[in-house]
Amino acid sequence: MRRVAMVGAGMTNFGELFDLGMKDMVPMAVTEAVDSVDKGFDRADIEAAWFGELVTTDGFATGILADSCGLLDIPVSRLENACATGNDAVRHGAMAIASGMYDVVLVVGADKVRETSTRSTFWDWMGMTRDAAWDFPLGLVAPANFALHSARYLHESPVATREHLAMVAVKNHKHGVTNPKAQMRFEITVEQVLNAPMVVDPFGLYDCTPQSDGAAAVILVAEELADRYTDKPVWVRGTGLGLDRVMHQHKRDMTSFPPTVKAAKQAYTMAGIGPDDIDVAEVHDCFTGVELINYEDLGFCEKWGAAKMIENGETYVGGRIPINPSGGLKAKGHPPGATGVAQCFEIWEQLRGHSTNQVDGAKIGLTHNIGGPTAVSAITILGIDKA
Amino acid sequence: MSTISRIGTALPPWGTATARQVGDDEDAVTLAVAAGLAAIGDTDPNVINQVVVVSRDFPLLEGGNSAAILAGLGLREDVRISETIGGSPAVLDAVAGAVHTTLVIGTDAAGSAGASAIVCGAGGAPLGITGRVTRSMPVVTRDANGNSSDYADPRLLRERGVNESLSRLGTPTPLVAAGLAAREAAAVCTGTPPPLLTVGASAIGFAIAALADQGAAGQVLAAEQATLVLAELGAGSITVARDEPSARPRPDGKLAPGSSVSVSLSAYERAFDPKLRLEAGKCGSCGELSYPPRHRCIECGSEKPTLLVPLPRHGVVYSLATIRVPVPGLISPYTVVIVELGDTGVRTLVRLTGATPGSVKIDDTGSLVFRLVAVRQGVPDYGYGFLPDSTFTQNKEVAA
Repeated sequence: MRRVAMVGAGMTNFGELFDLGMKDMVPMAVTEAVDSVDKGFDRADIEAAWFGELVTTDGFATGILADSCGLLDIPVSRLENACATGNDAVRHGAMAIASGMYDVVLVVGADKVRETSTRSTFWDWMGMTRDAAWDFPLGLVAPANFALHSARYLHESPVATREHLAMVAVKNHKHGVTNPKAQMRFEITVEQVLNAPMVVDPFGLYDCTPQSDGAAAVILVAEELADRYTDKPVWVRGTGLGLDRVMHQHKRDMTSFPPTVKAAKQAYTMAGIGPDDIDVAEVHDCFTGVELINYEDLGFCEKWGAAKMIENGETYVGGRIPINPSGGLKAKGHPPGATGVAQCFEIWEQLRGHSTNQVDGAKIGLTHNIGGPTAVSAITILGIDKA
Repeated sequence: MSTISRIGTALPPWGTATARQVGDDEDAVTLAVAAGLAAIGDTDPNVINQVVVVSRDFPLLEGGNSAAILAGLGLREDVRISETIGGSPAVLDAVAGAVHTTLVIGTDAAGSAGASAIVCGAGGAPLGITGRVTRSMPVVTRDANGNSSDYADPRLLRERGVNESLSRLGTPTPLVAAGLAAREAAAVCTGTPPPLLTVGASAIGFAIAALADQGAAGQVLAAEQATLVLAELGAGSITVARDEPSARPRPDGKLAPGSSVSVSLSAYERAFDPKLRLEAGKCGSCGELSYPPRHRCIECGSEKPTLLVPLPRHGVVYSLATIRVPVPGLISPYTVVIVELGDTGVRTLVRLTGATPGSVKIDDTGSLVFRLVAVRQGVPDYGYGFLPDSTFTQNKEVAA
């Protein structure tokens, strides 16, 4: 299997990009990725592209990428894997190179949640992830899927409270302030989080990710070609993808996300490292309580240790293991197809020392998605060293 | 001439001591099922050969109610069932005319809501029709589109409607009069008739249940506007079971504008039996229960045909979520709960019912009860709701 190098990465701002369509955002992210390549990049070098998009909001996905980016002569495939779409698209791009099939691959992720009204989004985006006869009629909207986990987690945990959930929101908002691409660049307090209107118990407004539009892109090349594009590549050290029972009634232990545990095991094994080797991570914090469960599933602490981690500030930039220096989904925004790719953009910046919220000396970073509803997780491990 | 052996009654929990209203997840069908299950109790449902459902509030006028009612009652799909548009007079006629063991259900969802179910033709107290007069005095009208109007002349109804019909029956003095307002009933009856919370098809069942509680026998009158049916209830044993939670105010939910997701009738049809009968698939190899039933066993992977088996209807809350934001086409707030059923290890995801949203906790116990889960594109989608034990009060008497 060949080593895979990331030689370019870019993303649009995340936010309510009413003035930009899918056909605008995608070429913008791709051009930023192309322009980021240190020694220059001719997009004619791209041999194949993968497009991660959760919901088709403006027509035929792969055609839009090929057409809007001037890539009409290469194969383009769409990839959809719920909220794990982004990191799974990166995984597919990496596999295409590792296998020897292609030398230069483009991976793009994008979604336009705000192409639909805030009111209809619940239903417009639900069709693909819920059972039509058993789950739909119940009104199992997106936050409810995760609330079922967090409610049980808070019930079983000997330490965690709603305050700990709020601390996650406070941290990620603080991290987002310095990120010019983030949707929400303001700090909040624990009191504000706790006093905000409830969305789905135990999540208030500030416990939830905003609705976002955005696109992100990375360029992957085979080890042999890396030198041609940069002296400072970022290596795809490991990838993983895990699944679980789809229906919540079949998940025996809802205080954990087994897909994350499985994906992490695959990625750590492939990279030949363990959780202690991770210097910085971008994890899926669509709802604050999810980030706490992620700490434990990813092995950053023991079971029920997440509350103490956030309480002690261990996951702030400057702490033991900084989590979501970009602001995370919570502050940066969450256009699902783009999210995982944008996480890779942040780690790319971190490992090359250019992040607006830099973690000193970061050498290995991890990105993580969970979704679908809580039935799929994709993880990518990136490193500045080859092995 | 037939006999009455058992009566079951059901009231929604919402409203006041004198009038109940259906919740968002109740209709004439769910109330009929609740009353029917109370009537059947722990007797063998297979002795019931026929079901007659009488109502003027059927949710589906093009068909579909009967299958849901049979499923909710746990009766086989080959049991004879008919839907009769009518009120309490039609119920009395159905009871008196029952040849085989028949479950006659009267159910009302509009206005004062409730349902009663009468097991007849299987012993108990004899009942025979002694008079009938069918006359027209449509002071209240409702057409097939639900358009309603009220002539608003109760004196005309009393004098030229009810009283004229009574005189044509020889001015009887019944013990109870179902289908009349409380004051009219008191004027017609001998002694003090029991207070009745409904005036539609369910009223006569409540009335006979009240007589049974008193051990009384005699004339019973069923009225619907100017139409009357008079019957003689003889002495005999009638077992009464009431599913009548105490009254409480309906929670302040708010319907968000907009439409919810569309229905798939293919998916609806595939799920119908296990969903409405609360039956799991039992693996043909290892016996593991899967809910919903599935092609491949969740435990051993066998793809042998599964057998549908009933699940326990009592369980413990494993987790829950209360949705407080507006969701288009739904009434917020609402609570969904994952309930672990009995000692099966099987869990199901359902809505909370009969209680204020957000009022349950993990580890609370309760029952699964037949409810209207959603209405999408005009299709009522039935299933089960979680009724917490803490909010359920079984009343022996109808609150006055």
